[in-house]
Amino acid sequence: MLTMVTGKEGSALGIIFPNSYDNLVPELVAERTVASIPFAGRYRMIDFMLSSMAHCGIDNVSVIVRRNYHSLMDHLGSGREWDLSRKRGGLNMVPPYAERNVKMYSGRVDAMSSILSYLKDQKEQYVILADTIVAVNFDFGDLIAKHKASGADVTVVYNESEIPEGARNDNYTLVLDENGRVKELLSGDYRPGKRNLCMNIYVLEREHLIQLVQDAMVRGIVYFERDILARNLNLLNVQSYKYEGYVARIADLKSYFDENMRLLDTENLNALFKGAPIYTKIRDDNPTRYIMGSKVTNSLVADGCTIEGEVENCVLFRGVTVKKGAKVKNCVLMQDTVVEADAKVEYVVTDKNVRITAAKELSGTDTFPVYVAKYHVV
Amino acid sequence: MAKELIAMLLAGGQGSRLYALTEKLAKPAVPFGGKYRIIDFPLSNCVNSGIDTVGVLTQYQPLVLNEYIGNGQPWDLDRLYGGVHVLPPYQKAKGSDWYKGTANAIYQNISFIERYDPKYVIILSGDQICKQDYSDFLKFHKEKGAEFSVAVMEVPWEEAPRFGLMVTDENDRITEFQEKPKNPKSNLASMGIYIFNWDVLKKYLEEDEADPNSENDFGNNIIPNLLRDGRAMYAYHFDGYWKDVGTISSLWEANMEVLDPENSGMDVFDEHWKIYSRNSGLPAQKIGTRAVVENAMITEGCVIDGNIKHSVIFAGVTVEEGAEVEDAVVMGGTVIKRGAVVKHCIVAENVVIGEGAKVGAMPQDGENGVATVGSGVKIGAGAVVGPKAMVRHDVKEGAVEC
Repeated sequence: MLTMVTGKEGSALGIIFPNSYDNLVPELVAERTVASIPFAGRYRMIDFMLSSMAHCGIDNVSVIVRRNYHSLMDHLGSGREWDLSRKRGGLNMVPPYAERNVKMYSGRVDAMSSILSYLKDQKEQYVILADTIVAVNFDFGDLIAKHKASGADVTVVYNESEIPEGARNDNYTLVLDENGRVKELLSGDYRPGKRNLCMNIYVLEREHLIQLVQDAMVRGIVYFERDILARNLNLLNVQSYKYEGYVARIADLKSYFDENMRLLDTENLNALFKGAPIYTKIRDDNPTRYIMGSKVTNSLVADGCTIEGEVENCVLFRGVTVKKGAKVKNCVLMQDTVVEADAKVEYVVTDKNVRITAAKELSGTDTFPVYVAKYHVV
Repeated sequence: MAKELIAMLLAGGQGSRLYALTEKLAKPAVPFGGKYRIIDFPLSNCVNSGIDTVGVLTQYQPLVLNEYIGNGQPWDLDRLYGGVHVLPPYQKAKGSDWYKGTANAIYQNISFIERYDPKYVIILSGDQICKQDYSDFLKFHKEKGAEFSVAVMEVPWEEAPRFGLMVTDENDRITEFQEKPKNPKSNLASMGIYIFNWDVLKKYLEEDEADPNSENDFGNNIIPNLLRDGRAMYAYHFDGYWKDVGTISSLWEANMEVLDPENSGMDVFDEHWKIYSRNSGLPAQKIGTRAVVENAMITEGCVIDGNIKHSVIFAGVTVEEGAEVEDAVVMGGTVIKRGAVVKHCIVAENVVIGEGAKVGAMPQDGENGVATVGSGVKIGAGAVVGPKAMVRHDVKEGAVEC
């Protein structure tokens, strides 16, 4: 059961940074934000954060975008699919503000400074900061309750995890004291083994955030974690919140492939989806059709697919077609991919609307999946 | 601002011959085709035909239907002026009435229709699976200068006596109407879909209401009265897919036809005529390592580890390892446990079929009943539900229900 965030005391607004870590998955974000990377057959990364927030009663959510955000705008629309199309609050897209020339945000502090007046006008007591590199079914109400109870200035969410190879240079880890207070916040931890790996979810009081951002701007500081939190751990009471639930973390193409594949284990699939439903943009696809002669095993298949060939250990997104005689094994095929007759593909990630023409063979390896970009014909 | 055409959708049907399925919901709310309900078809037809105002007349068990339709957003029918409106019977200053018949249901909502000041009103049935472009029908109505048109299907002559039949001249003008006649003079069966000029319909509804002997029914009263007065009445020939899913076997058959769109004409895969529905919000379906899926339709939220052959599986169904499902319609949320055998049947929503239980059987020696299990029923381990059974209560472990 999720904890609801209600009443003035304890109410929270959400701020999501969909562009964070764009540099980690260059293939997938050539024409989109991290937030709009397709995941788990029918979702985009941001669906998990938005649905979790909406389910906990956080219905005032700002998405601060920097670039490549057309696909995200198309996906989010008015926010209705997440129940975030509201008279008060709701979903609020904040693109870079053009004043004479367009100014790009260079860090979270910079981005938040551009919405300071908005932040000052809000009524909610707390602010949740998050990005979209993790797919989680998160209970924000519980986070806020723990934050309140601990009397912390800031609470940081982490899970115990190995650092994915792709995130070796770009991660935050925590060193905690026996009471869970953050003693050190390290960036770019490269050491092997399990670490307290930040999930880039923070909660703090809105008034406090405004003050921190204003002070940081005066000093020309741009990074929230490195410059505000890490340097002030003796002044700020920064507490940790350990997340025990299922986490899918996208750090690079390899981890993207692995995290999709990991959901083929029903236990993992249930762990990610057992909480409140995750909403996404509805495409009104028909049910998936398994035509006579098809053979499908151990696969996650979204609606709208037509399968005549063989599919094994795959994640098929909405509207994928696998024609007669085609063999698809260990692949992630994004929406509307077509694999024509007698083609063979193995360890391949196709972006949306890719066409693998008849009788072609294409394969990567389990450590190095081949990626085919949007709208390409092989 | 006047609308040219608005739709009134008769959705009060009890569907008594589907009783195991319609005990708690109106017939138009019965699930169909993997992720739809029957009413999705007329509603989607409306939107695809450019009709943006639909009154849905409900009466029997309206709860599920009301909730399902909601504000009409899944069908793009949430409009500032128009959109979909659920119209149950209501209390008036001079007392209140249930809808006494199809015509009376419309009569009681004259004020709804008049808000839109339409030129034409199309009367639709929420009991049929049909993909039809109503704008073609309207074009016909206008070209003929009709005051009333009815959509008709050619049916085999031997089946004609089961239908309301339109006898027409060479210009498709209706000269006679026969309701389920012994000696049919025509094989043009009424589909129960009518277009009226609103001024004409209103006049006849008011006249019909004033007649204390009337059954207040379109087929029995309104159409004969129009004929009596020599109104301009035409029959519009429709040759697409149409099925009145009034019985368990016809509902089962229609579902099976969805599996064979190339031959049956029931194509829910048509990009140009999408059928919209309210989404279940469940994750993608998981086909397990030991699953065997042959010629089936499966949708979101399903976890399939057993064998599925020639079946329609709705959202959130679990089929455990070793279970066999063939020629079956399995509705949302149902769990089929290990080793159960489910054949040639309709299993409603949220049913649990225990380990090794048997539901239905493939037809043998012309014996082809469609077993039916009502919603929420639990079938105990090893229990047997015969091919002709219609089960509405839990069946104990090892018990036999025929």
